[in-house]
Amino acid sequence: MADPRSGGSLRYSQDVAVEGMWHARIVRSPYAHARVVSIDGSALPENTVLLTPDDVADLSMYGCQIRDEAVLSRGEARFVGDPVAVVAAPTRRLADAALALVEVDYEELPAVFGIEDAVADGAVLVHERHHVSENDAAYFGIRPVDGSNVCHRFRIRHGDVEAGFAQADVVVEETFTTDGAAHVPMEPHATLARWTDDGRLEVWSGTQTPFNVRMDLAAIFGVDQSRVRVVCPPMGGSFGAKTFVRLEGLAAATARKAGRPIKMVLDRAEEWQTLNRHPSRITVRLGAKADGTLVAKTVTCHADTGAYADCGPGVAQKMGFAAPGPYRIPNVHVDSHCVYTNAPPNGAYRGYGQMQSIWASERTMDIMADRLGIDPLELRLKNLLREGDAYATGEVMHDVAFEECLRNAAEAIGWNEGREGKGLCVLMKGMQTPSRASVAVDALEDGTYRVRCATVEMGQGARYAIRTMAAELLGVGVDDVSFPDPDTDVSPYDTRTTSSRSTHMMSRALVEAVRNLREDGRTGVGEVADQGGLDPDTGQGIASSHWHQGAAGAVVEVDEETGSMKVRHVHASVYAGKVVVRAAAELQNEGSIIMGLGTSLFESIDFADGQVMNANLSDYNVPSITDLPRITHDLVEREGAPVHGLGETALPPIPAAIGNALQSFGIRPRSLPMTPERILDAIDERDAQAGTRELEAAE
Amino acid sequence: MTGAATHWHAPRSLREALDLREDYGDETVVVAGGTFLGVLINNGVLAPEAMLSLRDVPELRRIEIGRELTLGAMVTHREVENHPEVRRLWPALAHMFSLVASPRIRNRATVGGVLADADYASDPPSMLAALGARVVLEGPRGRRELPVEDFILGLYETAIGSDELLTSVVVPGGHEAAVYRKFRTRSHEDRPCVSVAAARHSGRLRVVVGAAAMQPQFFPDVCGMGASPREIADEYAGRIDALSDARGSAEYRRRVVAVEVRRAIEETHHG
Repeated sequence: MADPRSGGSLRYSQDVAVEGMWHARIVRSPYAHARVVSIDGSALPENTVLLTPDDVADLSMYGCQIRDEAVLSRGEARFVGDPVAVVAAPTRRLADAALALVEVDYEELPAVFGIEDAVADGAVLVHERHHVSENDAAYFGIRPVDGSNVCHRFRIRHGDVEAGFAQADVVVEETFTTDGAAHVPMEPHATLARWTDDGRLEVWSGTQTPFNVRMDLAAIFGVDQSRVRVVCPPMGGSFGAKTFVRLEGLAAATARKAGRPIKMVLDRAEEWQTLNRHPSRITVRLGAKADGTLVAKTVTCHADTGAYADCGPGVAQKMGFAAPGPYRIPNVHVDSHCVYTNAPPNGAYRGYGQMQSIWASERTMDIMADRLGIDPLELRLKNLLREGDAYATGEVMHDVAFEECLRNAAEAIGWNEGREGKGLCVLMKGMQTPSRASVAVDALEDGTYRVRCATVEMGQGARYAIRTMAAELLGVGVDDVSFPDPDTDVSPYDTRTTSSRSTHMMSRALVEAVRNLREDGRTGVGEVADQGGLDPDTGQGIASSHWHQGAAGAVVEVDEETGSMKVRHVHASVYAGKVVVRAAAELQNEGSIIMGLGTSLFESIDFADGQVMNANLSDYNVPSITDLPRITHDLVEREGAPVHGLGETALPPIPAAIGNALQSFGIRPRSLPMTPERILDAIDERDAQAGTRELEAAE
Repeated sequence: MTGAATHWHAPRSLREALDLREDYGDETVVVAGGTFLGVLINNGVLAPEAMLSLRDVPELRRIEIGRELTLGAMVTHREVENHPEVRRLWPALAHMFSLVASPRIRNRATVGGVLADADYASDPPSMLAALGARVVLEGPRGRRELPVEDFILGLYETAIGSDELLTSVVVPGGHEAAVYRKFRTRSHEDRPCVSVAAARHSGRLRVVVGAAAMQPQFFPDVCGMGASPREIADEYAGRIDALSDARGSAEYRRRVVAVEVRRAIEETHHG
């Protein structure tokens, strides 16, 4: 049977159509911060509907972690692209034409860009107050700093860093940055909303978070969650871009006014105005004894979340709790901040903030190795967390595989045959904690089975993996297990399809569901809940019920006259525990590595006064097949081990492995992406320092 | 595009195309492969009421090979890249076309289109200028030829009259050496940050730098001064008024020019 994706028969979220639907386009602010003075739709032809802030004045504020968003922003645009009105017409073409006819008058207001300016004294405040959301995505202690642009700050306090640094023979301190990046799913955001005759809201949407969207829609319209239904057709990619409320509130509000179903599909350029990856600035201070024993570490993270928090507080939290790295360090302080600016919102992106802090921390490890004169592999092996060790959060590590992954990566790139041009990185990465997953398995009259599950398909192969696991438990073939589109009316609750949790969580929930099905004969429901969470002021507790573990190695060459770098080989080693569908698991590794290469080499959103200057795929480059080096990877399995998530693990270590390969030439990149120009600057810096040292030696 | 209807002229001969051009002038946008216009229209930058497509004009699709190479305006990048005789006799030219974007683009993008766009970051202009190529323009006053470096006047600005069409490009043959170096800072499919084309013909060197400034940079006096590759490269780096974009700052481009011009000239000695 041909895969419906390759045969063209798969119906994606942008293909959903219902009778009588109209198409809507968003009127967006051209200013980074402005008050909407007036909206004039008088030039619109008949047969169009214009949604303005007056139409949504009765709706409530929303936001998955901070309630800082309103449908149409209540007339105050906070980024270039902030929706200020919606226009709908019978066809997409007519809606496009109508879009150009809406006249909006703005009064421009002062705006703030970049982390440094946003946290400066007297900075323009993007939001006056920060209200923590009641959505269950606000699952941790959110600590906004009122009167500032900081909408969450997270801390780890472990040991006594002052005393730790006092014991250190060598202390290194460096600041690292990462640029914003775009997810670039092949399919853009797409949503269809309609109100039923009895006043229920039904939404078909390409989203990774059906239950969170239902919760926020219920809050926006002031109805019970049972009055909202969210259905999730397959997506043509997401990578975190399609999480939480994006178009759903706008489509539902427009449908309410139009009295008919409303469909919205974004243009490619609008993707850059919808959700991007957090730019970051991270300062690491690391202390070690002369023998390489790590004794103290402080990390200060800032994540630029743009004009609305979205899940930025969670991103900053994970950025913070991944920052200590998979090492035994007795004294660790982390301070992580989520900061508002007048940029388009930044949110979940494959790896969820952890790439940024892994980049900073693992680059620092190689700088430390250089200072100590210790091989970077040896320095890591000496300090790695082992079975039964406690992490900086106090949680005890089990099922530990860091050393195996790291050794695999080192071996794959020929670490022992000379380390010129080679670099390594090892990582730990958290999974959504706490979280709950439930699944139902129905025995159908024709002898086949149906899985009701809220895990969404976005190209990662989750449905096939879950069908495979169910079939194995049921003792039938995969084709005898069906998996209809997730639907909050019939699929039991699941936290969301993020953080590489679905295969891991559902593998456990399915065992119980199939056991209950055997007892009931018709239906079995299984549910697992992982407890945990951290004290936001001390970072103590359970950061992750399940840690993703991996490592990467890279081999590079550099043209020292131009800074042009050629990546020759990248290897990633990922702890899988148990592989469910090998081909899909391997594709996750390869996809993660390729995204990691884009982040390493050239992906960067170019802003000018808050405006994205490269919102197209000619000016914003993603890796093409011709950009790929030799890519190898392995999946580490263990007898009796549980299924581990692996949808993202191979992405975060790639930039640091490449950066550390440059470090082997004495080149110290500190900013992502590592463009040839930045590498040439780092070469100049190295040569200037060598010149200074020679002068000093001569004196 | 945004709803407005477009009138589409599709002449089937060069005569018909030239007549339409004379009648409508710049009111009607001439479209060749459409790879650039398509982006402008999709992004709403351009909403032409009428377009003149050269797609069905057979005279513009010819490749003629003699002492010189004549490429019709509608010959695609891919056709040049894959043409066995062009590859044998003008290897640097074929190689340069093979480096543009991706096969999808090269199957559509044309030789005439890329010259008429006069985008600073395109590959072909610098190579064609280094080879001493001439652009052929035809209109009511007849036919005229201009060297590529005189044809491109600035960013998106050329010497095409509002009643003329670019019909072909003529590339001299018999070069002792020709080299194209495409220096990228991002994806392999990206446009160059700096490109350097160098060619020797009858002992004379022509070095043209592309993508570094608003138009191809050619300094005949520097090429003719008989200096070392490094001296010529440094002179180019000093003279070029480099631009900044997402592919590199002006300062970075000048450093790359100094390196890549030297390397290109050295290659013409060895290649």
